[in-house]
Amino acid sequence: MSGSLLFQSLVLGVLLGGLYALLAAGLTLYFGVMRVVMIAHSAFLILAAYLAWYFNDQTGWDPLLSLFVTVPLFFAAGVGMQRLLIARLRPATLTMMSVLLTFAVALLIEGMIGLIWSGTQRRIQLPYSGSNVEFFGASIAVVKLVAFVLAGASLGLLYLLLTKSRFGRALRATIQHKEAAQLVGIKTDRVAGLGFGLGLATAAVGGTALALDATIYPSLHWHWVGPLMAIIVVGGLGSVPGTAIAAMVLGIGQSLLQVEFGTTWAQTLFYIALFVTLMVRPQGFFGGRLAQRF
Amino acid sequence: MTAHEPPRSLETVDLTKSFGGVRAVDGATVTFRHGRINALIGPNGSGKTTFFNCVTGMIRPDAGTVTYRGQQITGRPPHRIARAGIGRSFQLCRVFPRMTVLENMLVAVRPAGLRDLVGGAGSPAETDKARRLLVRVGIDHLENVEAANLSYGQQKLLELAGVLMGDPDTIMLDEPAGGVNPALIGRIGTLIRELNDEGKTFLVVEHNMDMVMSLSHHVVVFDRGRPIAEGTPSAVRADPRVLEAYLGI
Amino acid sequence: MPNASDTERTLVAAATAPAGRRVPARAVRMLAFTVCAALILSWPGLAPNPYILSAGVMVASYACTATAWNFMGGFTGYVSLGHAAFFGLGAYGTGVLIRDLDWPPFAAWLAAGVIVVLITVPVGIAALRVRGASFVIVSIAFVLILLLVAQTWQDLTGGSDGLVVPRPFPDLSRPEHHRAFFYLFVALLAVMLLAWWAIDRSRFGTGLKAVREDEDKAQALGVPTRNYKLVAYLISAFFTGLSGGMYALWFGDLDPIFQFSVLLGAYMVLMALLGGVRHLYGPLLGALIVGGALEYFELEFGGTQLHLVAAAVLLGVVVLVTPDGIIPAVRDLVRRFGPQDSSIREMTAAELLAHNRASGRGGPPPDEAPDEAAAPGTGEER
Repeated sequence: MSGSLLFQSLVLGVLLGGLYALLAAGLTLYFGVMRVVMIAHSAFLILAAYLAWYFNDQTGWDPLLSLFVTVPLFFAAGVGMQRLLIARLRPATLTMMSVLLTFAVALLIEGMIGLIWSGTQRRIQLPYSGSNVEFFGASIAVVKLVAFVLAGASLGLLYLLLTKSRFGRALRATIQHKEAAQLVGIKTDRVAGLGFGLGLATAAVGGTALALDATIYPSLHWHWVGPLMAIIVVGGLGSVPGTAIAAMVLGIGQSLLQVEFGTTWAQTLFYIALFVTLMVRPQGFFGGRLAQRF
Repeated sequence: MTAHEPPRSLETVDLTKSFGGVRAVDGATVTFRHGRINALIGPNGSGKTTFFNCVTGMIRPDAGTVTYRGQQITGRPPHRIARAGIGRSFQLCRVFPRMTVLENMLVAVRPAGLRDLVGGAGSPAETDKARRLLVRVGIDHLENVEAANLSYGQQKLLELAGVLMGDPDTIMLDEPAGGVNPALIGRIGTLIRELNDEGKTFLVVEHNMDMVMSLSHHVVVFDRGRPIAEGTPSAVRADPRVLEAYLGI
Repeated sequence: MPNASDTERTLVAAATAPAGRRVPARAVRMLAFTVCAALILSWPGLAPNPYILSAGVMVASYACTATAWNFMGGFTGYVSLGHAAFFGLGAYGTGVLIRDLDWPPFAAWLAAGVIVVLITVPVGIAALRVRGASFVIVSIAFVLILLLVAQTWQDLTGGSDGLVVPRPFPDLSRPEHHRAFFYLFVALLAVMLLAWWAIDRSRFGTGLKAVREDEDKAQALGVPTRNYKLVAYLISAFFTGLSGGMYALWFGDLDPIFQFSVLLGAYMVLMALLGGVRHLYGPLLGALIVGGALEYFELEFGGTQLHLVAAAVLLGVVVLVTPDGIIPAVRDLVRRFGPQDSSIREMTAAELLAHNRASGRGGPPPDEAPDEAAAPGTGEER
């Protein structure tokens, strides 16, 4: 592998890792506030991508503008989903049953996308779709860069929200110790709902970013479920910085392996990482105190 | 060991476990003697339950050792520790809610390898033993009732009977009197005393001071993750450090 | 306190008295079993045309997979969404052994089951290192990775061109072929049901159920939970693999998309859950309903995504409304509205007390009352 090619795929890996990190942060939020493994996360991701495509298709405007609709919509859907569905499950079997429930939601979304927009592959065509920028000799597609900036900015915002705001403190307290948070007067139910909303908002942003650059079809979300799940286990369930690091490392790794072995085998990296993590360090490599019991 | 002391049963040396930045158990070195009823008392959050969990293998301690009858058992999986002869109950009673009372008892039957796969849940002898223990705690008439349908007091008795099913030498009880009515407290106390007479060693975490003082031979006081005083109930009661830690005087 | 329990005991004796009426219940059960078994076995004769007959074979294969899933899901409470992995491995294992090594079909089928077990050992060890969520994640990841590999490794699996499995009975006509496999699937199902029944009443089964109810507590009582879970997982994988292999022999054409399908794994869960995971016939009942519906949707709506939506809605409803399944729900209904059955088996302590109070033969002593009022928490949330 030549130096410039290596550098090129390294940069692409970072761009991909940024998107992974944002999406994995969403998954971490659900798991943190409710101990829920949200299978439907990537289905919402694809839904957001479809909405961006449809928005562009109908109006001809830039798909990024669809964010003004999808982000609030998804936030509300997340709050609603937590309050109306997840909160109804028995605590004793919450982990397992919530997986099934979110799985059902994922199937529902996939089925509805298929019914409404058919199984045809879709792709957004933008004036800047084909353009590249030169970055120290590496040629980077503008859309990838836009997607990365979008993901990075959202992740930054999320980080600020979690660390600086009152709500963020309440959220982190709920993640760390629910009962203790209740004792100091935090309404953990409300916080959990908002945490879900935030999580789904990341899917809205991620989906829009994805739509800029990818061909989408209803069952695409299964390609995202595995890698994202692997990332949150490797990073340590419930740790936002941990999953961000894992997302970057695995994103870059995938990008590098892709050059040598092709897309399919590069994907197996995630599963190997998942397997190794569980064998060597089941609580995750980066933080993740929660994982031991779950 | 002085001549008149009974042999050591359970010992911990420098046992330590932290959660995040909090040291729940902080260098606890304790020795429990065989054949005694030992009580573990201390204010809420003093690390008693974490100590229990470290000893029984539910939590892996960060540092320190646990020795049982001269054998290192630190970090062994819980079922091995149970089979080594340490039975335990849980704080807020825990039974298997959707299994019958008799099935609850038979869970504790010693595994027999591949023979576990065929044949009944317990041999006739084991089933008999389970029934005898149920008679002993007084809930034998409920043997086919699902445990979820028992009253809290009955669940407590079932949990105790289940622990006895594994023939432990040492029985660790986490708040046996918690949440039960006075009549039942008396009954549980009597059971503990009888079992002790039969040679079982007890390790009891308890907040009910009447029970602790009347029942135990030896009291260990925990504060901030380590023992601060120990001795006979009367000696401990008179110890100013205990008053300070426990009563906040 | 001794007083309280003494009174209770005499009253229990009173309540147990009419228990002689349980004998007819057993007769009814035997009759129901015989009728159902006869109906199932006569299906090939009843089916009006080969298409309906093949739908019956499909439903029988669903019943096999759902029951196989239940060896893990029902006993231990560990929900695996990736059991399609074992199904696909069994199917491809059988197909490849016949195609490349020329093995006799049913020897290949059994060998594929064994291969599935061997592959499952390391996966199970990794998946069961931690509890709950990680197990589900690994189970899904496993089927996704196998899908990737099967699609890419064209030399072995034929990729999306498919792998054609030679028919085991080349002389049979199509309807005869379906009929033969219907009985083969039913026989496999019977073996599984027998195994499930044996485990259910065994010491191993008691340990597994204890894991499902409270894993910490089971460990503290000396149950070697990790080994038990692993063995349950292997048994479940073995039977799922056999179902997949049987499917390969029957259907004769394999495509990774359909064999290693997360959807197939979800169907297994849905069927078992709908019927009732804690019951021997739960998955079978669920398979009859869901499998029947799926075949109907296939027939009516063909290629649309409607079956996906329907399955999703049904799964959601089951999880939210009857997570314990139809069988216990119906049993509760029967108990509430059906003839008064006073056998002690059916009577809860709370009902007993109500019974005691109603019959005026002495209630609980006053100090017992608060205990009754307090909900017996399981202490699951710690």
